[in-house]
Amino acid sequence: MAVLNGRAPRGPSRPGPLRRWYRANRRLALGVAGIFSVLVPWELLVRTRLVKAILTSSPTEVAATFVTEFQRGSLWTDVRATLAVWVVGFVLAAIFGILIGLAAGWFRRASYVANPWLNVLYAAPELAFVPIFILWFGIGFGFKVFIVFLAALFFISINTIAGVHATEERFLAVAHTFGASRLTIFRTIVLPGSVPYIMTGLRQGASRAVVGVVAAEFISSNEGLGFLIILSGQTLNTSRVMVGIVMLAAFGIFTGEVFRRIEQRFEVWRREANT
Amino acid sequence: MAELEARDIEMEYERRDGTRVSALEGVTLAIEKSEFVSIVGPSGCGKTTLLKIVNGLITPTGGTILLQGRPISQNSRDRAMVFQDSSLFPWFSVARNVAYGLECQGVPAKEARRRVQPYLEMVGLAGFEQHYPYELSGGMQQRANLARALVVDPQVLLMDEPFASLDAQTREMMQAELLDIWSQSKKTVLFITHQINEAIYLSDRVVVMSARPGRILADLRIDIPRPRTLAVKRGDAFRAQEDRVWQLIEQQARLTMKATQLRTEGAAG
Amino acid sequence: MGRAVRRARARARGSIRAVAAPARARPRPTGLRAAYAARESTLLPLATFVALLAGWELGAQTGALETFFFSSPTRIIAAGWQEIQLPRFWNDVSVSGQEFLVGYLAAIAIAVPFGVVTGWYRSAHDFFDPWLSAFNATPRLALLPLVVLWVGLGMESKIVIVFLGVFFPVVINTFHGVRTVDANLVEVARSFGASGRRRLLTVVLPSVVPFALVGMRIGVGRAVGGVLVGEFYTSNAGLGNLVFRAGQTLQTDRLLFGALFITGLALLGFRAIGSLERRFGAWRPRVGSA
Repeated sequence: MAVLNGRAPRGPSRPGPLRRWYRANRRLALGVAGIFSVLVPWELLVRTRLVKAILTSSPTEVAATFVTEFQRGSLWTDVRATLAVWVVGFVLAAIFGILIGLAAGWFRRASYVANPWLNVLYAAPELAFVPIFILWFGIGFGFKVFIVFLAALFFISINTIAGVHATEERFLAVAHTFGASRLTIFRTIVLPGSVPYIMTGLRQGASRAVVGVVAAEFISSNEGLGFLIILSGQTLNTSRVMVGIVMLAAFGIFTGEVFRRIEQRFEVWRREANT
Repeated sequence: MAELEARDIEMEYERRDGTRVSALEGVTLAIEKSEFVSIVGPSGCGKTTLLKIVNGLITPTGGTILLQGRPISQNSRDRAMVFQDSSLFPWFSVARNVAYGLECQGVPAKEARRRVQPYLEMVGLAGFEQHYPYELSGGMQQRANLARALVVDPQVLLMDEPFASLDAQTREMMQAELLDIWSQSKKTVLFITHQINEAIYLSDRVVVMSARPGRILADLRIDIPRPRTLAVKRGDAFRAQEDRVWQLIEQQARLTMKATQLRTEGAAG
Repeated sequence: MGRAVRRARARARGSIRAVAAPARARPRPTGLRAAYAARESTLLPLATFVALLAGWELGAQTGALETFFFSSPTRIIAAGWQEIQLPRFWNDVSVSGQEFLVGYLAAIAIAVPFGVVTGWYRSAHDFFDPWLSAFNATPRLALLPLVVLWVGLGMESKIVIVFLGVFFPVVINTFHGVRTVDANLVEVARSFGASGRRRLLTVVLPSVVPFALVGMRIGVGRAVGGVLVGEFYTSNAGLGNLVFRAGQTLQTDRLLFGALFITGLALLGFRAIGSLERRFGAWRPRVGSA
């Protein structure tokens, strides 16, 4: 966007091959440069003892730890444990969240009651109630699933409601002229129209769920990535902490991307429907 | 010596896939002081590009623009542009918006406000100084737009389809008002529009541009005497002019439509 | 006329079903029924809330609800009344408050310029993007042990966690704000001879402010979460600490009072930012107007 940066486009000229590659792959080049601009000084600082290895580990050490952990196989148990909690909690949140959202969006009285509650619960810091949850559920699989469930539920509900409300008046008008029943309207207009919003809610809910898992594992667990991090932190095994963090980050990025792709597919359809 | 001259303007740019597209080719145009000149042409023929080149926002790949015999500088204090719809800053009041050009020139706020006042009255917005753009109708916003351009006292006024987003009735009234204001200040005006009857009604000359790459096809003098009321549009002389221009444009418009068709078919296939 | 008004009101009250309902001639309700219908949107939730509270209290009194697990409204209020008379409580409030404010304000001070720069300069964005995305996708909790290792067990660790929680939403939203600046308006400014600095101040920043505020609103929730989680992990003062200790000593009443108090503060914070959003977004055309 030459205009945005306040410069007029220059006249034609023939740039060298290196410049051309750079311009074509600018994002990649800069991104890689950004990654290395942190990794390299980090490694150097640790190698030259300017920073104590125990505080931060170093990229090479982390990589080495990765390999050993993989070979030992204990990493897989932790990953599986975390994944199990996440999946169960998220799926439950998705089911209930969408159902509640659809009902609250569609039925007037339900929305009067649900809206204030959802808004307050969404804004409320769930963590503040964790001690009482422990009192109720003890610490175990159920507790962890519950935390994950709560973390994602409200996001999904609120976005679903927004999706129902976003149904366009003109489509409803079309349904009326053809005498569609209310059930048909819901099925053929409201529901498809809500899908993009539901997808957004699911995406955000998924990442909230990851936070939920880690929080739950911090508090009460003897397995899982969150537990791995806390244990390694307490035993000052910084490399293992980093391994855990990297795995979590990767998981977070992965789920984020998956949902974003799905969302984009629906986004295209939505835009086309509006033209 | 002509007030504003465009000599052999060429504009080429490179598309993302590397192909070169020519937007303007050999455009040469001379405008006298206090003349009102309109440019009409099919969509995409480069009218807006030409205007931006004259304003100094874009540097052409070839040719020069001369103002009173001297090449223009990028800093365009002697030219002011009236943009299409909704180009007022929504977060500033009407008064602050109209004073923006002065603000950019370093005029202190109080002085700027003082200078803005008569122009607000001129365009009929007195009393709306503290309102925000979203509170104004389309016609009122464009009037503020016009005032903003006039307040900096430019040598040349450039107008890029300023009435395009208005409904037909408001548009007609704004045309009459524009002529009224113009007759008071007698600025040199370069006006772009799609509507042929708008161009003929407002201008001393109508320049017809071809489809892309834009070239000047014809330069017609409009001999209808001023001052012109809206009723003039229904007269025979006016209709005759309209026919002439439309004949020239019709072929170009068809070319453009065909090109768009082919492009969409190609994209879908 | 009546039908259209009813539809518009149904929409405003938030339900599609009423809008989708085919028009039917209905006798106009009068008197009490009409008064109720007009305010149903506030009366109904209020009534359910009161009913819930009453049911809760009743359950506790009759023993149907074990107070050990659920406490009761009156017990919570009593515990709260006792609590706020202790200077220790206010010390907790002050500690948590400081952790919140320092982290929150520091994050905004850095995140907004950062977001503007990455939004404005494509190269800056591409350069920082990998780390930003990675950090954003990582739950801050995971970094907690590291942070404590680096800055110690005191308030600093909580401040850092709060900072991390507020930083990213503000950067991302500010970034979006800059990217969606109307390029036409920048061009308008340029055509009047506005310098780069003036363009930034008079076009970019005003359009960015509403977006930054959204990020800040999200940041409130994250900041509160950060304070709590940091205090759960390690602390000897603060509201999170209070709730944690109450949990450990099985004092359900104090526990719930603390949690509700924290929730109230969080809601206040959201309200505050919300009103800022309204004030600075006042110039935006209302949704639905041309």
